[in-house]
Amino acid sequence: MKFTLSWLSNFVSLEGIDAQLLADKLTMLGLEVDAVEELFTDLDHVICARIEKVTKHPNADKLTICEVNTGSGDTLQIICGAPNVREGMISALALPGTVLPGGVKIKKSKVRGEVSHGMLCSSRELGLSEEHAGILDLNPDLTLGTPVNRALGLRDTMIEVDLTPNRPDCASVLGIAREVGSFTHQSARLPIKEVTSFSGDSVDFKIIVENPELCPRYAARKISGVHIGPSPDWMQRQLLAAGMRPINNVVDITNFVMLELGQPLHAFDFNTIEGNTIVVRCPRDTETHFTTLDNVERVLESDMLMICNEHQPVAVAGVMGGLESEVTDTTVDVLLESACFNPVSIRKTARKLNIPSEASYRFERGVDPEITLIALERAVQLLEKYANGKGFPDALDVYPGKKDMLTLSLRPERVNNLLGIQLDHAEIIRLLESIEFEVSELDGVLNVQVPSFRVDIEREIDLVEEIARLVGFNEIPTTLPKIGMDSPKKDPMRVLRKEIADIMTSMGFYEAINYSFISEKFLDSLCLADNDPRRKTTDLLNPLSEDQGVMRPIMLPGLLENIRHNLNRQQTGVKLFEIGKTFSQQVQGELPKENYHLAGVLCGDRYPFAEQMYHSDTLADLFDLKGSVQQLLSVLRFSNESSPTHWQVLAQESFDARYCELATTLEIVVQNIQIGLLGSIRSDVLADFGIKQPVYFFDIDLNTLLTVNRLEKKFSSLPKYPAVKRDIALLVPADIPAGQLLAGINDLKEKMVESVCLFDVYKGQTIEKGYKSVAISVTYRAENKTLNDNAVDKIHKKIVDKLMSQFNARYREGSVV
Amino acid sequence: MESELQQLKEQAEEALQNINNDQELESFRIQYLGRKGGVITGLMRRLSSVDKADRPRFGALANSLKNEIEQLFEQKKNALGAGLSTKGASDIDTSLPGRFLPFGKLHPITQVMEEICSIFESLGFAVAEGPDVETDYYNFEALNIPPHHPARDMHDTFYVTDSILLRTHTSPMQARIMEKQDPPLRYIAPGKVYRCDSDITHTPMFHQVEGFLVDKQVSFADLKGVLTSFTHHMFEKELALRFRPSFFPFTEPSAEVDIACVICEGKGCRVCKKTGWLEILGSGLIDPEVMRMVGYDPDVYSGFAFGLGVERIAMLKYGIDDIRLYYENDLRFLSQF
Repeated sequence: MKFTLSWLSNFVSLEGIDAQLLADKLTMLGLEVDAVEELFTDLDHVICARIEKVTKHPNADKLTICEVNTGSGDTLQIICGAPNVREGMISALALPGTVLPGGVKIKKSKVRGEVSHGMLCSSRELGLSEEHAGILDLNPDLTLGTPVNRALGLRDTMIEVDLTPNRPDCASVLGIAREVGSFTHQSARLPIKEVTSFSGDSVDFKIIVENPELCPRYAARKISGVHIGPSPDWMQRQLLAAGMRPINNVVDITNFVMLELGQPLHAFDFNTIEGNTIVVRCPRDTETHFTTLDNVERVLESDMLMICNEHQPVAVAGVMGGLESEVTDTTVDVLLESACFNPVSIRKTARKLNIPSEASYRFERGVDPEITLIALERAVQLLEKYANGKGFPDALDVYPGKKDMLTLSLRPERVNNLLGIQLDHAEIIRLLESIEFEVSELDGVLNVQVPSFRVDIEREIDLVEEIARLVGFNEIPTTLPKIGMDSPKKDPMRVLRKEIADIMTSMGFYEAINYSFISEKFLDSLCLADNDPRRKTTDLLNPLSEDQGVMRPIMLPGLLENIRHNLNRQQTGVKLFEIGKTFSQQVQGELPKENYHLAGVLCGDRYPFAEQMYHSDTLADLFDLKGSVQQLLSVLRFSNESSPTHWQVLAQESFDARYCELATTLEIVVQNIQIGLLGSIRSDVLADFGIKQPVYFFDIDLNTLLTVNRLEKKFSSLPKYPAVKRDIALLVPADIPAGQLLAGINDLKEKMVESVCLFDVYKGQTIEKGYKSVAISVTYRAENKTLNDNAVDKIHKKIVDKLMSQFNARYREGSVV
Repeated sequence: MESELQQLKEQAEEALQNINNDQELESFRIQYLGRKGGVITGLMRRLSSVDKADRPRFGALANSLKNEIEQLFEQKKNALGAGLSTKGASDIDTSLPGRFLPFGKLHPITQVMEEICSIFESLGFAVAEGPDVETDYYNFEALNIPPHHPARDMHDTFYVTDSILLRTHTSPMQARIMEKQDPPLRYIAPGKVYRCDSDITHTPMFHQVEGFLVDKQVSFADLKGVLTSFTHHMFEKELALRFRPSFFPFTEPSAEVDIACVICEGKGCRVCKKTGWLEILGSGLIDPEVMRMVGYDPDVYSGFAFGLGVERIAMLKYGIDDIRLYYENDLRFLSQF
């Protein structure tokens, strides 16, 4: 809601209140002021100047060369194209340096070879009105050189209030004035003191309200003999300041009264009201289309309320008038509507037709049902004055929805308890009366009569809020609640997520957060099969773009996009993880299943942010990620030495992670539960995401992981006797996974074997073709004695023999057992 | 043997006194304290040949001699002072960088969200999370926003079906929890929320922390107290605070909370649009209608609720000027926090 101080001061005295103070006060009353703008300051360098001499421009028919007196003794040459320019005329001269309201910057320039030291301006160019037929023709008595904003009394301040939906009463200058009255101890002055009630006996038209529940009140009055023309400048300026475009005097007056009193009005050309009858009703079956005054054909629905003449609709009630019934330049008689409509009905209609209008804004929030006739009278008086019309003495006022004034009981102790303050009854009464509520007291309970314009006040709590804001929120004390101690149970998923995030960052991964929605086309990029359950996505009906059309069923796309983004910005290594939800639509029309996932990606340098001199350019590979996951699961105690993380090679037929290379993809298994996947992304998939280098990723379903037991922390005594280490180097067929050799040793379950680890795998020129060298180190230890060589040799031989026979292995030449 | 020890001690003392440089000190160390062939070491070894009865006494004596000589050696070493530590100075370039395996970092949103949650947790609030895809009922109707209520304009909602949507705030948790539990309640609900809006100050997904407290005799003054306490912890100073009337359908009275601009400290700047104030959260007493819908008697119980935008707090805390940076996951951005 925008208004000017000059307009507001018609309703309430602003003595001693400057714009800033007013803005602060309104803001603290709950009417948040968004902007305070001095008007017409851009006209400080537009001055009153007299045109002394007019000659024809030698190179252009429609231009003239004017000698213009600026009052300072100078005469400036100005080129002008206005038809109304004449010698002796006083007009508005914009001097170089001026920026006009439309953004045009005035400078000294040449127009068809002739110098112009400024510009003579029309009313529209100065933002004063819509008038653009010629340059301003000002009062000859004005002092030359005076800025026009001062000479014409244009200086004013515009204030913009960001209204909350509960305060439609303040979508009017009157409503703002009432709020000002609350802290300046005055009541707002209405422009119309009293309205006589109309008998309706002598009017020459009829009103039939077929749907009284959608139209509690409909009043109309006829104004004859109007002359359509521009509205007065002052009115146009107020409308412009309020953000509305002036149209003509009749339309402007209806808009002006709406802004002033909050009552939307509509003017019909009376001649279009066939049968001289207004029928307020919903469309008939045959009435499927209607052209609104913006010349758009609208599709009607059966529950939309229409204003009709005897035969057909002439307006969409409360939303927009019709093209056919619009007031035009030839209109003579006007039927002026002032009505009250059902807010929900108006809102539905405005939404469906997608016409947010100033009128529907007010109707859908609720207008004062008692302002109807006052607004009508105000408009008639203005039409008589500025459109030469004659208001018919009688009018029709159909008011099927008249209600008694609402009276609420208010318990003062409830006010004090809820707000945490101590107000006595007299103070509460005073506060409520300051905003025109009437209060009486009976047995300690206050009976509060709510004024009709406060359509938002329906309950005791609404009164409590009024009292709170009138007292001032900052006057309410600050205390802490007295509530018993409690130690709430922690959400295990949240705890797990936090633990994971800490471990991942400590391993050098940065946390990413991506949008939960992705482009559906990414599912194709990831080569998901048509029957892949992740194709059952949760789709948005109204996404901002196709790229954000479906809720992600998989974490990967966002992270791949992050990799591309970073690689394109010269990052040489990217290590990211994200913990977030995936969505799977299991049953249409129900909420999808939301699962937390942990996903990580790795690309490029192994230690991207480390000191390069210590970590020369080594590239990360699958094993960096495998190690990270292994570490993560063991720190979290989902696995340990006796129950290690298991890496399961995938079988082709059950492989649905088609974005991965089958050969290098592993299922992550802890305690026999499959929790996720780790692998390298296929290069054609990466190419689709614009990535040209290998990317490794893992993805763990946290909802599954949460079902896995954490292994106990358990102490075992530190060894008392020394360990003995023995190495084995064997040549084994190249296709035997080294891990099987380790497993083979572990399978023996030798008590003395404390640990087994791989320390080299080598294929190369010195190794026989088809073989590889695998070097394993075995640590032996006994609990109760120092092992001697003999004992170790015995077990070691057993191990070597087993490996040789099981894997067809041989000693590597030159190696020592 | 005792005299031998005494003699040994005197010899060592004299030898130490005459030492002037590191080399001599090192030869002393080898002669007396060296592990192989050092005099003291030798002495210790000989203890085994001493009479069993005398062994403990001599052992003690030998030990104390060893300690004394070691002490004297240390003293001499310190006296020679810098002489030792400058050794090899030219070999090590201490200006070289330290060696480390780099850590990653949490996203700034996570950092701020956790900070917010931990402040409230320290005040006894429990944490609850709900679904991102929510029903119209919990997102709107249970919060006193019936269909066709103008307040729906305040939420540009992404819909999945007519009755299923992406939650526009984390407030649905209020209704979901109150439905299941009786007061007293203290909860915060952090999470992702969605609005179909995207420009320099809006992203279609962002993060919110909603909180609420319900008990007997909870007042607006209590709301002010909790939020004041939170703000002071969050911004690590006693910033001025302003509670301003506003409107949310699920609270009444409703208040927006402004803090004195952290950039200009209230003088007025671009960030605070020259007002000196920054809006950081919305709050209010829980509307009796919301209570009634979950079966609480509003004459018995009262409570307050609040919600704050995590992105905004992070922007204010860290001076981030473009909200879109949050979701690009640019490492140059993520590594700053």
